[in-house]
Amino acid sequence: MQLDRRRFLQLSTLGVAATIVGDACVGSDRPDVADDRPNLLEMLGPDRVRMIGKQYLASKPAETTADALRSAISKSRHESRVPLMPRSLDDQVREDFINGHTVLVDGWVLSITEARQSALFALSA
Amino acid sequence: MHTDARTLDNGTVLQGDLCIVGAGAAGITIARELANTPLKVILLEGGGFEFDPKMQDLYRGENVGLPYFPLQAAALHYFGGTTNHWAGWCSTYEPIDFEKRDWVPYSGWPIRRAELDPFYARAQSILDLGPYRYDPADWKNGDDERVPMLGDSKAIYTKMWQFSPPTRFGTKFRDEIVNAPNIHLYTNANVVEVIANDALSTVQSVRIRGFDGKEIRARAKRFVLACHSIQNARLLLASNHQAREGLANENDLVGRFFMEHLEMPAGELVLADPAKTSTKIYALDFAERTPRGELAISPTAAREHRVLNGTCSVEPGNLGDEVKSTFQFLDTTLMNAQRAWEKSGRKGTPPMASAEQAPAPRTEGVPRFYHLVSRQEQSPNPDSRITLSAEKDALGMPRAKLNWQMTELDKRSMRTFYQVLGAEMGRTGTGRVQIHDWLLSDDKAWPSFISGGWHHMGTVRMATDPRQGVVNADCRVHSLNNLYIGGCAVYPTAGAVNPTLTLVALALRLADHLKATA
Repeated sequence: MQLDRRRFLQLSTLGVAATIVGDACVGSDRPDVADDRPNLLEMLGPDRVRMIGKQYLASKPAETTADALRSAISKSRHESRVPLMPRSLDDQVREDFINGHTVLVDGWVLSITEARQSALFALSA
Repeated sequence: MHTDARTLDNGTVLQGDLCIVGAGAAGITIARELANTPLKVILLEGGGFEFDPKMQDLYRGENVGLPYFPLQAAALHYFGGTTNHWAGWCSTYEPIDFEKRDWVPYSGWPIRRAELDPFYARAQSILDLGPYRYDPADWKNGDDERVPMLGDSKAIYTKMWQFSPPTRFGTKFRDEIVNAPNIHLYTNANVVEVIANDALSTVQSVRIRGFDGKEIRARAKRFVLACHSIQNARLLLASNHQAREGLANENDLVGRFFMEHLEMPAGELVLADPAKTSTKIYALDFAERTPRGELAISPTAAREHRVLNGTCSVEPGNLGDEVKSTFQFLDTTLMNAQRAWEKSGRKGTPPMASAEQAPAPRTEGVPRFYHLVSRQEQSPNPDSRITLSAEKDALGMPRAKLNWQMTELDKRSMRTFYQVLGAEMGRTGTGRVQIHDWLLSDDKAWPSFISGGWHHMGTVRMATDPRQGVVNADCRVHSLNNLYIGGCAVYPTAGAVNPTLTLVALALRLADHLKATA
């Protein structure tokens, strides 16, 4: 018996329970030009990243628009250790992994930020 | 000295100080250690010096549990035993493997890893391995690119392997055994029953039967059953004329806790920057036998996540490749071809190497994609067991019936391993890990390609308490004061790595005990 990956998106269950940022939109930051260009593109190529993005969108009804995704990314970027100093997206992805803010999409162990970036990429493609 | 037992008269009684049943890695190791001592050693081998289908058929049995390879193909029944077709992979069990882990039911050995260290060191040369070193830093081989990935990780480390040629005990040690003045090897001597005194406290003899119905007996002061794990249990269970449930089975433990190593493709790895991440130390080199590493969960992470011990190999390939499990990949045809290659002088590409399951990467330069193939201990499970079949073999002995069973911990552990690995790959910017579909499904469900490594362990497990194990820390049966068990059957837990190095280390330890207490 196998589970369709598209149906399987779960928060990490490593005991370091994910504390994913909320779905609510916050702020009105200017969209980051890199928001929809995850580093995953270099690793996996556009087709796979698009598929990952679509699966993320299908599993998160509250994050199906570009605004909602950008807002969620932005909110966690501003949860920086240094006040008023938003993290770079690379740092944010790394911290996601450190803090257990990971998701499984298409079986890939991803940072929540790069999963959202992939969703943005899927919307923009 | 050597005698073909078929030449002996019916009713012959052999007499010795020590009788070893089974001339595989354990039996031969113990016999060699006792060579040139005052002890008169009888070494009984069921087969001859070469493979014989009729003899091998004695190992045929039933599979009634999860899919398993035919039992008659999983262990070999002639002098040298299963070393006649093993692949030679060697690594040490870790200290945590010997510990009582409260999240792993029935875990804990009555001995510690440190007690085995001197025996591991001695086993290295028997198996034609290099120095007793298993730190990646010891195996750079002058190449600065042979370094582990995730070097700063507290959750994942690189576990090293060494590769035996592989040592064929039947070839390497035949003359030494046959020429030892105090060892008498009997081939074609199949033991079908262990006979104890009326009090069931001392073994008096073993009954040996030939295909022609002729029977002989071997008497000795002490006995060692050194067959493979299924056969050791089968022999005790079938010795049921004096005790209905079989010898040494007062606590219904004989045959239980059959364990394997789960060897299955379970994940994929994509590197973020192949030019910056070397994977050389993970490369498999069958021809040169260069030590290699596998990624392993650290004891710290295993404790934190309450999972079993496990590793994965890192095999270059491409996303979407079909990757086979060990049971799918290895078969007797391939192993016979490998043996023929060895016998003909090792010319050309080893069959196992040319049959490598991961196709060569289609891209130029350093590969970006890798298949991750699991190697994990199976949790001790009393319901995973050997019992006797209603069918009998050509010698009139009930065949073995295997009921191989898993627990939810087995699958959760493997999935957690890849989640931890994925998080570490992401944290360090090394790459990303994909977990295969089958591992994300219900923890009670296993795919059709479920696979072990042909590593049979458990069935006559070791424990201080007779209610928890059949043998004590000296590998002596609790209820029988002169019967010992050699081989992987005594393992209380399976560890993550292949069992042969530990088997030989334990055999050396048992031999030392037998010498010291003679």
